[in-house]
Amino acid sequence: MIKSVQKLINWARLKSPWIIHFNTGACNACDIEIVAAITPTYDLERFGVQLKGTPRHADVLLCSGPVTRQIKDRLVRIYEQLPEPKFVIAVGTCACSGGVFDGCYNMLSGIDEAIPVSAYIPGCPASPDAIIDGLTKLLKHFEESEAKKLTKAGC
Amino acid sequence: MILSLLQILIFPGFLFLFILALSAEYIDRKLYARMQTRVGPPWFQPFADFIKLLSKELIIPELADRFIFKILPLVACAAAATAFLFIPVYNPQSLFTFKGNIVAVVYILTIPTLTYFLGGWYSRSLYSLIGSMRVLTQLFSYEVPLLMAVLAPGVLASSWTFSAVINFYGANGFLFLVNIIAFAVAIIAVQGKLEKVPFDIPEAETEIVAGTFTEYTGPLYAYFKLAMNIQAISVAALLAAVFMPFGYNLGFFLGIIIFLLKILFIIAVLTVVRTIFARIRMDQMVRFCWKYLTPMALLQILINIIIKAAVTQ
Repeated sequence: MIKSVQKLINWARLKSPWIIHFNTGACNACDIEIVAAITPTYDLERFGVQLKGTPRHADVLLCSGPVTRQIKDRLVRIYEQLPEPKFVIAVGTCACSGGVFDGCYNMLSGIDEAIPVSAYIPGCPASPDAIIDGLTKLLKHFEESEAKKLTKAGC
Repeated sequence: MILSLLQILIFPGFLFLFILALSAEYIDRKLYARMQTRVGPPWFQPFADFIKLLSKELIIPELADRFIFKILPLVACAAAATAFLFIPVYNPQSLFTFKGNIVAVVYILTIPTLTYFLGGWYSRSLYSLIGSMRVLTQLFSYEVPLLMAVLAPGVLASSWTFSAVINFYGANGFLFLVNIIAFAVAIIAVQGKLEKVPFDIPEAETEIVAGTFTEYTGPLYAYFKLAMNIQAISVAALLAAVFMPFGYNLGFFLGIIIFLLKILFIIAVLTVVRTIFARIRMDQMVRFCWKYLTPMALLQILINIIIKAAVTQ
């Protein structure tokens, strides 16, 4: 009984990942690509993705850009405002590793120095195709790990 | 006792309404997607969204009043579902009927809007505060033309009871086509009631994050979304009963099919309106409602009074 309910919840979480987009100091190229990915041309709604305005409704935080020291506190705050369970995706090379900004005095190198990250999408800028690919791969990985957890629990 | 419990909980009560409301959301989103030449969400999308939201973490803001914050979504759901019980589905008689129940239904359908306002007010967030003020401002502009438009067919039938209106127009052939102006006015006003695109000012994502629902998470937001969908169905059923009063005496199955077709038609019209317009400003919305919609609804009442006088002489 509990197992089937857990399966149903996992299925629902898999089928409706709502995203929120947060610019952590990017040059706007990745932001334009993220916005392009949710236009009718690429149609992310086939996977149940909706762009939400508030972190309270979202499941996935799409971050672009190396984290500037000024925006670090805001990023952590937004991350804490997301209700559990939540994922973070780093979009673009800067968000993954700091990119050309790596080693700057006013930058962290990558999102993962501030908050835990579930998926990295490299590219300068990451194309909409890459973003969709990364999102679906994250969902697939989540599905497999949850299935493993269920079998490990022995129920 | 058991029969009425079954009627309230299963058909035409809560379960029927739940499935109908989520299917209506799917149809709305799919049509919207197809009109933008994209594939759109799969059929189970609203169900998946609902289950996912139920399973998410519940966060209540520190400053918010916990009891009221939690109870409001349920009140919204209950009010929207209660309105449906007074609207006829497949026969002219609704489940619970009394004299003048059209007025009662319109007023019960105002309660969800008031809970959106209170929800935003008690969230103690700036965005939701702005959103809730916009909900109230909008309420005062669309409610008057909507009420006048919905009551206009009743003027001709000299009754504000569903069964009397349906029987009157059923006995008079195509007389219900007279109310076409009121129908148009009601469709536009309903767009404001359901906070759909030309009038989605209260939850304008690009301006005020998510309006009144900014602080609502997980299960509570799921109930608010459900209340909105149920409200859409109740309003569509209300418009169907008042403006398309045919096909009510054809037995159970045919009656249900005709009822569903009418709901589908109204949902499709609402979706087309949502697709082809962009959001307008608050002052434009208020001016439009008071300058154009209200006089049109008054004109319909005038026409109905003149027809009534001509017929009785």
